[in-house]
Amino acid sequence: MIKKTDSQFNKPLYILYPGEFYATKEDCVISTVLGSCMAVCLFDVAKRIGGMGIFIVPGTIGTSGIISDAIASKGIGDIELLLGEIVKIGGDRRYLKAKIFGAGYPADSSSQMEQVMNSNIKFIYEYFTLENMTVERSDLGGEFRRRLYFFPWTGKVYRNILQNNEESSEFIKLEQEYIDSEFRQKEKFGRVILFD
Amino acid sequence: MKHILIIDDSPTIRISVEHALKSLGHAMVCAENGRDALGKIDALIAQGHDIALCVLDVNMPEMDGISFLKEFRSRDKFTPVLILTTESEDDKIKEGRSHGASGWIIKPFKPDELLSVAKRFLK
Repeated sequence: MIKKTDSQFNKPLYILYPGEFYATKEDCVISTVLGSCMAVCLFDVAKRIGGMGIFIVPGTIGTSGIISDAIASKGIGDIELLLGEIVKIGGDRRYLKAKIFGAGYPADSSSQMEQVMNSNIKFIYEYFTLENMTVERSDLGGEFRRRLYFFPWTGKVYRNILQNNEESSEFIKLEQEYIDSEFRQKEKFGRVILFD
Repeated sequence: MKHILIIDDSPTIRISVEHALKSLGHAMVCAENGRDALGKIDALIAQGHDIALCVLDVNMPEMDGISFLKEFRSRDKFTPVLILTTESEDDKIKEGRSHGASGWIIKPFKPDELLSVAKRFLK
């Protein structure tokens, strides 16, 4: 993540890269570019708390649903990282609302990735249904990349469809590296430490 | 009857843990934070039930996992408490251990692994 001062919005601007998450009580803007990754924006307007997480579920989820699926537990873990940070700064998931974006399959994606993206979309809807959390806006799928500007105090999100990939070449490269890494590590779960 | 208590503010995690541990054959009770869990424990004990294992998140509203652990250990020194959390910092893990946690599993968790750890503590 990098921090800039943005003249367009006159607020601190935090730019998130694939695999990162950030939660804050600051009046700021959180921005990213999404291809196949998903961005989850969570916010509590009353408490002026919000955060964004960017991740991918590295594979297709079985027909039994996300509860018993090891790959899905990676995605659940990624959202939990964001939720954990929001709770630490005073948030409560019972009062949070969500906006979700991404899971696109740009024209240069493989057909296998299209299946993964459809599975990711299914995952995210099932997850928020289980969490009983309101999804105020979902903008998922499609053959394009997106740029987001999220305002955690208000929950507002400006979304642009990217026409020119050259402007986002750094994000595209980093996203591909992140996705490759997640697929390589899809059998890797959190540490288990036993105290004797 | 012996119960497993699952304490997490995420309904998804509570259901996932229930699913992972259902083959143990214990009754399972869920709580959404530490305060809720203490109330459920009082109710279970009043009904003559025992707690066999607690699976406990750390970051929760109202009463977090470490605060729950301190309160729980002042009443019960022996029931195993397995922390299941996204927290991975050594200082936090040491804090959990110093307050009597039995183990620490970092999310995302593998259901089979959680089951085998739970079996070990229930022996």
